[in-house]
Amino acid sequence: MVRDRLTAEDALERVTGALGERVVEARLNHGQVDLVVEADHLVEVVTILRDDIALRCRFFTFLSAIDRSTYNFDDGGGAGEDKKEKKVGTIEVLVHLYSPEKVFHVNIHVLLDFEKPVCPSITGVFVGAEWHEREAAEMFGIGFPGHPNLVKLYLSEDFEGHPLLKSFKLPARSFVKDWPGAKDPDEAAAGGR
Amino acid sequence: MAIKDPELQHLQDSSAFADEVSEGRLVTEQMLLNVGPQHPATHGVFRLLATIDGERIVRAEPVVGYMHRGYEKLVEQRDYRQITNLISRMDWLSGINNELPLALALEKLMEIEVPPRAQYLRVALAEMNRILNHLMFFQSFAAELGAITPTFYAFREREDIQYAMESVTGGRMHFGFFRPGGLKEDVPKGFIAMALASIRKVIERLPDYEDLLTGNEIFKQRTINIGLLEKEVAYAYGVSGPIGRGSDIDMDVRRDEPYLVYDEFDFDVCTAPHGDCFDRFWVLLHEIIESAKIVEQALEALPPGPILGKVPRVVEAPKGEVYIRTENPLGELGFYLVSDGGKRPYRIKIRTPSFSNVSALPHVLRDTLVADMIAILGSFFFVLGDVDR
Repeated sequence: MVRDRLTAEDALERVTGALGERVVEARLNHGQVDLVVEADHLVEVVTILRDDIALRCRFFTFLSAIDRSTYNFDDGGGAGEDKKEKKVGTIEVLVHLYSPEKVFHVNIHVLLDFEKPVCPSITGVFVGAEWHEREAAEMFGIGFPGHPNLVKLYLSEDFEGHPLLKSFKLPARSFVKDWPGAKDPDEAAAGGR
Repeated sequence: MAIKDPELQHLQDSSAFADEVSEGRLVTEQMLLNVGPQHPATHGVFRLLATIDGERIVRAEPVVGYMHRGYEKLVEQRDYRQITNLISRMDWLSGINNELPLALALEKLMEIEVPPRAQYLRVALAEMNRILNHLMFFQSFAAELGAITPTFYAFREREDIQYAMESVTGGRMHFGFFRPGGLKEDVPKGFIAMALASIRKVIERLPDYEDLLTGNEIFKQRTINIGLLEKEVAYAYGVSGPIGRGSDIDMDVRRDEPYLVYDEFDFDVCTAPHGDCFDRFWVLLHEIIESAKIVEQALEALPPGPILGKVPRVVEAPKGEVYIRTENPLGELGFYLVSDGGKRPYRIKIRTPSFSNVSALPHVLRDTLVADMIAILGSFFFVLGDVDR
């Protein structure tokens, strides 16, 4: 295989050029292309990324989700001004694709409605997304219309709740009493145990 | 179809019978065959529901989750240094490789510079672990096909490497040795000679392995053209590592996006064009040589110096997110780390190679023979702890 390596800037330019209006926001993050797209456009976007001859993001790395409901957006810093506006985070689906020929990564963020998260299934484009979507569905309660068989993957059928949501607490960690000693070296130096 | 019962013999020749077959009214009955959850060929607790029609597998559905420990949730409750020990238990055959992406992700977010000695040692230890892993799968695949001798060969070589790694880390499986910023300790006296000797023994004996299996007619008959995985399908499933390269996917993170100091070493990426069990095995076997080459180069060029960079006493990753991937022995291991500035990660998505590789099994097993099933399962080189996390 001939590898025709793209620089991160070129990759960003080509990706935004190919996707045009379908992208809400595009930027580089640690050398990888970071996209925000609407749920309605997701299938179209991944199809273009896969089939566009100048992109060829054929390698389906993973699909997952992030629950940003308790994310601490405060004290801004270098993270970006845009994030400051949406103080309360929502739930998002994250699709990662990789182009083996052009050697670049694309992270696609799809922001969903927290109360009723629904994201179209991309199993029609990447058949490998099947298990990833099943996992995201059980762990975050996201619906994937178009998925051929959206049953639980890891959890038992009668399991209640969606473990990776921030509202799902781990009892062993939330109810036990505090660790008796110093929790970190700084505390210990300040006179803890 | 030959009918043995003499009373029904007339059906054999009658045109009425031919009609029934062509119209699909005369069908054999399908049967559901359950494999596992405990089966010696599955490297953990893995269950396979195979719908079979005679000798043919019509549909195969892997059932996973018996080893689901919820690492992605657990890591959110622990601080970064505790996570190292947790994630080394994902793929228990390559503990030290599992620890690597977290360390790299933290170093990227915290902008820690890792001293060269630590980088070289990380490469050497990771590649030694890769050899351990590959030797294990070399023997287990052979054992699943009914050949027990390779087990003794592989374990003889494994022991020496294992001993060298034990002398550094104190552990045999879960090392807990990589820290953000470097290593836990420097290597003991005599390690380099010991490690080089064990590696050279592997290189020396590898031709025996080839003779034993890849030159063996029975082995070839059972693996060549069995369990085909096409290149495009492998891409769509995200199949990587030796299994992907066995399907002609010329991809290796160590070469394509070198992390640590892999770009300073000379090694080849093995690929094979057919995507059958034999090719997957061939790639696995030949990667041992490449890894051994890297270990030799890394240890011979090992620079002096410190083994830990400037790391704050409390590991706190600044806000941000990063995706770091490394070449695990079984494929691409990726960590998508989201930090909101605390001592604990906000979220880590762990992309394990075995998960994606195993998800391609239904496709590969479709329309194969029951007798080939174990060969195919064995050639997918997966660890269930890595699938279930």
